[in-house]
Amino acid sequence: MSKAIITVATAAAAVLVPFYLEAFWLMAGIFAMSAAVGAIGINLLTGATGQLSMGHGFFLAVGAYGYVYLSSDSAGHLGGLGLPTPLAAVLAIGLAGVAGGLFSPIAGRLKGAYLGIATLALIFLGQHVLFNAEPVTGGYNGRPVPPLEIFGFTFADSPELMVLGVPFGGAEKLWFLAVALLLAAAWFARGVLHGRPGRAMNTIRDHETAAGVMGVPVARYRAGVFVLSSMYGGLAGVMVALAFQQTVPEYFGMLLSLDYLAMIVIGGLGSVGGAVAGAAFVSLLPQLLTRYSDALPLIAAPGAGGYSPAEASRMLYGIAVVTVVLFLPGGLLGLVSRARQALAGKVPHPSNPRSAR
Amino acid sequence: MNRFRVRAGTAGLVLLALAATSCGSGKATGGSAQTGSDGVKQGPGVTDDTISVGMISDLTGPYAPLGKSITQGSQLYFEQVNAAGGICGRKVEPLVRDMGYDVQKSVTAYTELAPKSAAFAHFIGSVTVGAVRQRLDTDGPLTLALAWAPSLLGSKSIQMTGTTYAIDVINGVDYLAKEKGLKSGDKIGHVYVEGDYGIDSLAGSKYAAEKLGFQVVEQKVKATDADMSGQVAVMKDAGVKAVVLSISPKQTASMVGVAVSKGLNVPFLGSNSSFAPQLLATPAAPALLKGFHVMQSASPLNSDLPAMKKLVADYRAKYPKDTLDNGVMAGYTTAAITGDALKKACANKDLTRQGIISAHRSTSAWDGGFGTTMDFTKIDEPPTRTTHILQPDKTAVGGLKIVREATASDLANGYKIALH
Amino acid sequence: MTTFAELLLNGISMGAVYALIALGFVIIFKASEVVNFAHASLLLAGGFLVAELHPSIGFWPALLAGVAGAALLGCLVEFLVIRRSKAASHSVLAIVTIGVDIILVTELTRQIGTDVMAMGDPWRDKVLHLGPVSIAQTRVVALLIAGVLITAFLLAFKYTGWGVAMRASAEDGETAALMGVRLGRVSLGAWAVAGALAAVAALFLAVFPTPGLDRTTGVIALKAFPAAILGGLDSTTGALAGGLIVGVTEALMTGYQSEMAFLGRGIGDVAPYLVMIIILLVRPAGLLGTRELTRV
Repeated sequence: MSKAIITVATAAAAVLVPFYLEAFWLMAGIFAMSAAVGAIGINLLTGATGQLSMGHGFFLAVGAYGYVYLSSDSAGHLGGLGLPTPLAAVLAIGLAGVAGGLFSPIAGRLKGAYLGIATLALIFLGQHVLFNAEPVTGGYNGRPVPPLEIFGFTFADSPELMVLGVPFGGAEKLWFLAVALLLAAAWFARGVLHGRPGRAMNTIRDHETAAGVMGVPVARYRAGVFVLSSMYGGLAGVMVALAFQQTVPEYFGMLLSLDYLAMIVIGGLGSVGGAVAGAAFVSLLPQLLTRYSDALPLIAAPGAGGYSPAEASRMLYGIAVVTVVLFLPGGLLGLVSRARQALAGKVPHPSNPRSAR
Repeated sequence: MNRFRVRAGTAGLVLLALAATSCGSGKATGGSAQTGSDGVKQGPGVTDDTISVGMISDLTGPYAPLGKSITQGSQLYFEQVNAAGGICGRKVEPLVRDMGYDVQKSVTAYTELAPKSAAFAHFIGSVTVGAVRQRLDTDGPLTLALAWAPSLLGSKSIQMTGTTYAIDVINGVDYLAKEKGLKSGDKIGHVYVEGDYGIDSLAGSKYAAEKLGFQVVEQKVKATDADMSGQVAVMKDAGVKAVVLSISPKQTASMVGVAVSKGLNVPFLGSNSSFAPQLLATPAAPALLKGFHVMQSASPLNSDLPAMKKLVADYRAKYPKDTLDNGVMAGYTTAAITGDALKKACANKDLTRQGIISAHRSTSAWDGGFGTTMDFTKIDEPPTRTTHILQPDKTAVGGLKIVREATASDLANGYKIALH
Repeated sequence: MTTFAELLLNGISMGAVYALIALGFVIIFKASEVVNFAHASLLLAGGFLVAELHPSIGFWPALLAGVAGAALLGCLVEFLVIRRSKAASHSVLAIVTIGVDIILVTELTRQIGTDVMAMGDPWRDKVLHLGPVSIAQTRVVALLIAGVLITAFLLAFKYTGWGVAMRASAEDGETAALMGVRLGRVSLGAWAVAGALAAVAALFLAVFPTPGLDRTTGVIALKAFPAAILGGLDSTTGALAGGLIVGVTEALMTGYQSEMAFLGRGIGDVAPYLVMIIILLVRPAGLLGTRELTRV
């Protein structure tokens, strides 16, 4: 029953929040939900299948830029296809999948550290393209993102919309879109993880040779999961682009990819809930610190002792990664389920450490 | 389970009811302009006794050294204004946010501050401002952008100070031709960093070179590159007569140092962001003092203007331990421009966003006592086309002294800025 | 031709410095099967110590202190974090080093602040002239010292007890442990050596051509990742080859960027990754890495 209470409470929050919180928090929430979608993707790959990817940011970039290119009208030196925005969004996700597929000769064969650093190459090569392929990407300054329009309903500040006396701008509308997309993404990933593919993926992670012997086509699975995770990255990229209203190449750098890895470790590897929890933690922490250390960010001059909010949040974030690995193998999610079991007086069964899922 | 569904449904209805009552929440008030007790129309960020002014700065990222000086410069101005009774009988309240030169943080900071700021006294970086360009265009407050890319022109709410990177370089190359004896047919090198700063600077040197009959040898570097040996080798091999540098201060130190030790003894001209006074404490100092010049629109801290002398003295009194660099001046002037726009808007009894922007855009000759006259009336133009030529000097405040006063060359005046 | 020779020489000497970093990376991987993303922070820490101490104790003692400090820091990371990580997965161990890196780099950049710190080295900005070709003395020294260190290491790896123990544990950890090899000690030693090598690399990344050490110096360690991978992550000679390939490719691509404008501006920095991808397509385990065979 406790699960039902949580579900209801979360639903309540998701519906009520846009009516009360200001745009700043909605924006933070939208970023967190986009991050959650991306994190679910990489958790399928790294968490469930054991394939380390440091190139997740690249697939976000493919999604974001794909959407912008497909949906923009070509203007001046910038090209574009001018497709209807929902179609562009779907195709952009597909494009991210194709990009992942093109990488499969490498993704299928490599594992562990080799794959990690090979995917790092995607980030650097990808950014090189983003900076140089100006007619498509807009170069250094990026391109404006056309707002999504579904059946005449536009996810932007104008036209103005009033719902129950509250003005609904772009942030309020995007919030509900993000909630819907996150739910869909989570539902699908749960299906994958709980079904046959999920078991195969876990076997590859835990014992590759055994998986092969049991008839799991290891290389094909690896490449397939890579494509799926790329598509999640692409969707996250589209969401981020819609929230930003402008895509810029700087954003899709290595730090972004590292953030995603940190999210799944902090939240809990291999599960949807873990990805969501980690995404919320990593993307909301800096916002919270900046907002509430309100004695001006100048509290600490660099090098003069004391931490500025940005430094403090980097520090806490690093410490969280290390602490979770050292002391909380299940991540935040594992902590919650352990607490719940402790409250219920149950001892977690040793053979089933991932009951948190 | 079915019972649960029913319950969830009921819960949903309750939620809707709750949402309906949210008409009482703070968000439902709407943001239309009100009129204060003194008859002044008030927009976002303005109340009967305060005017909030936002600042989006880089205090922890790659531009942190400058960002800190800029922010402290702006804060110094508003402190002085408040000590003198504020603006429009209201206290000015600065709201500072650090974005660490990160686009996402910058967008979030803008989202947070925009609804409660009357204006942005500074917003650092072309990419970071560019990321909220659309929002600024539709209903944004007056924003003083600290970046000199042409992509920031053409918006009524965005104001750059000084001139664009390209025009600085055009004036600089003109100086080379006039004072350093470069002739038609000579080669000039240009080392530039990827991004707006480098690309626009390169556009300037190419334009000037074409007009003067020079040939440009270009080398692009990444922001993270530290060793410029390769670039020096290429320049030396090409036989350039002068080199323009649109790179970071650290890269400048490497470039100039290596060039001197390898016998590439030609004049070096740096864009305004290629120098920092800290460099004069590194082993590259002798080389920098020898053949390096800076092209910069704003007057240097070392100039004799009374306003500048006062700024230097006040800043030293308030922040005795901090380096005096161009950021101090930049932060102080952008704040002063904002302050003057607010004062003018107050005189027009209109402190709405539109009122503040109109007041600002009606100023055709602003100099604040800092020597560079700026015209804010044209949104497609930088407020000035003049550039100082400066030289590093260990004894000068801010490490730079004037070699040639601010001038706008004919070349620079004839340059057409390509808008995006 | 002169330009080519200069670029090549510079490339080789930078390559030697990258090789120092890549070697540390490979040693750690061999000994503890961890991909150490915290390598950049070890490097920055070593360099920072040298820059901070040389005004008071002189350059050579400061260098020694920097090397020792980075070695110690490496040991601490191994002892406090890696050894205690309950998670067995290599991916998780790699991610935990990212966490360590963030902590160390945040603290170090806060300490360094906005300074550009001089290293106080005796070579300063002197240049060596070989006919028409000139190269900074620091680069020559870097090449020599890197050469000596790498040779010494390879010899030690082959002939000393520690080297044998390390090779044994990399080959088969369990068997080595049964034979009396103390795996913990081997791994601790590997982290110390890697830290020390990184500190030496830091010195040469922050002296002449470059104005000094600043908060971004550690970023250069990223270039050692493709070096280590394309050489083969478990091959020490591979690290050497990888480092040289990366250094030379980068120098030449940068120097001749105008001839390669069709690849986009700034190709020099991504060239190492391009080379790496191509090599991995042909040889998934790198040039000299061992192909993994699994027996059931």
